[in-house]
Amino acid sequence: MIRVEQLVAQRGNFTLGPLDLDLGKESYLTLLGPSGSGKTLFLETCMGLIPPGSGHVWLNGQDVTSSRPEQRHISYLPQDLALFPHLNVRENILFGAKRRRIDNSIVADRLNNLLTLLELHGTINRGDVTTLSGGEKQRVALARALLPQPRMLFLDEPFSALDATIKRQLQVKLREVNQQLGVTILHVTHDQEEAFMLGEKIAVMIQGKLCQIGSRDDIYYRPETLEVARFLRNQNIFEMTVEEVLPCGTVQMSNELKLTVPKHERARKGQRFATGIRSEEVVIIRPNKPIGPELQENLFRANVTDILAFGGTHTLCIKLQGSNTTIDVELPNCAMRDLGYAIGDDLQICLRKQSLWTIPLD
Amino acid sequence: MLHRDTAFKISMMLPLGLLTAYFLLLVSSQSTFFSIAAFTEQLSGRDLRSAITLSLFAATVSSILAIIIAIPSAYALARLDFPGKRIIDTFIDLPMVLTPIALGTLILMAWNTAIGHLLSNLGLTLPFTVAGVILAQFTVIIAISIRMLKATFEQISPRQEQVARLLGCSAFGSFLHVTLPMARRGILAAIILTWARAIGEFGATVMVAGTARGQTATLPSSIYLAMSMADLPKAVTLVMILISISLLVLWGVRIALESKS
Repeated sequence: MIRVEQLVAQRGNFTLGPLDLDLGKESYLTLLGPSGSGKTLFLETCMGLIPPGSGHVWLNGQDVTSSRPEQRHISYLPQDLALFPHLNVRENILFGAKRRRIDNSIVADRLNNLLTLLELHGTINRGDVTTLSGGEKQRVALARALLPQPRMLFLDEPFSALDATIKRQLQVKLREVNQQLGVTILHVTHDQEEAFMLGEKIAVMIQGKLCQIGSRDDIYYRPETLEVARFLRNQNIFEMTVEEVLPCGTVQMSNELKLTVPKHERARKGQRFATGIRSEEVVIIRPNKPIGPELQENLFRANVTDILAFGGTHTLCIKLQGSNTTIDVELPNCAMRDLGYAIGDDLQICLRKQSLWTIPLD
Repeated sequence: MLHRDTAFKISMMLPLGLLTAYFLLLVSSQSTFFSIAAFTEQLSGRDLRSAITLSLFAATVSSILAIIIAIPSAYALARLDFPGKRIIDTFIDLPMVLTPIALGTLILMAWNTAIGHLLSNLGLTLPFTVAGVILAQFTVIIAISIRMLKATFEQISPRQEQVARLLGCSAFGSFLHVTLPMARRGILAAIILTWARAIGEFGATVMVAGTARGQTATLPSSIYLAMSMADLPKAVTLVMILISISLLVLWGVRIALESKS
């Protein structure tokens, strides 16, 4: 549906790209990255609002690199929604259909469907758009964007100014829109939860480069670069050296601790790797309970050095015995209540091999 | 706390009150020299009617011309990037810092160049013509229009235009359907201020078009003529007429503006 090839764009001293991306029809891609990573610049370049320095943009197999924005049939929902304050709600929603001279009977059908889908029947006849609530404004802007049936819908952090409840309702609504209308969506966000909840595919952009594109699990559990791992809040990262590659492919690594990690095609004896595990993937071994075969490796004894309480979870900060390595372990509140750990307590943990990711450093 | 709040309000209101009193003094002091009989007599004079008509006509035409030029110019300065932008932005402020008499002199000198002669040969003569009055007023008010409209366009987010483009508008279409309607209050305010400035313009108008009675004499230049001949009743009548017209128009446009918003 959209394909960019070696796309480069410039704004001031910031350079975006070169970027390559291929997004299929009826899919939902979230472009995740920290503030200032070039996500909005990428959207603006794809929409034709900023001319690229080099590279190409294809939409539906057609090279649109030099097409004007109105010829690309992309709808855009910016962070501030950009509703037109001089028009009423109905005029706002119908704006694109009117400009594209879509037949009235077609517009009436589409409008009715959209009003039902977005629950806007009670809002359409309201006058001033500036008096709408945050959630209503979002749905009006979404209806305005969808009514002309664009080739693609670009969303630029549209929920960032909303409170958590409305945000969740609209995120669910957006998934419905994607599934029911089959519109391809490219959604830019810095909110990791939002990206993982909505995106079928997730692309991570850091400092103007696409660092990784993949499924939720790929991005979440198997980061391909240290930047991605750090951005996705991987707290437990260790630099290690390969000691041995076993005949089955499993790799043994060491620094001040020894770890057995999954097979990696670039693993060679003496090579440096970064390996890590998400804090919620660290397993606490309960005393006097049988241990499954997958928990027989990478067992360590440790002491609790600190306990941090968050809303629904606790993080245990632990220090491995006989080393200076510290590890964060995330536990849901109910597990924390059951285990009842306090600072100084002794415990046994397992860094399960399947949960460890590896990134070559050389 | 209440005491301090009251002191604060008084310190803000006091200068405003003094200023209003000062303006009231200026206007009311005219009554010493004002008589209904003189007023009626002056109004029936051909020269005065001509001055009123010319003032209204020239101020309206010069304001319309200024707005027509100022809208695209202000938009270009607010939104577009082009070489020499900062120099041009500074240069067009020139009429705001130059005294109107100096501006009038510049216009007259320009009409003594080859281009000026060419324009004169094409029929655009300035001395002692209505065209001269309009050009003098236009030159004085254009910078104010551009400055006001530039601020208006800068307050409108470019996102709205971008969204309009993606919804099917051309660049001109998004300007027409989104930017201009959103700027309407700023445009109306610019029209009011430039018109008010134009109808009271004296220095540049006198330099360029003179004060020929019944031809190029506007209300302000007629006041000057009356004062120079010590005809106080006539001068006061003219001042009262100028004040009445200005207040009436300013009030009317303000009501229109508020009802629109």
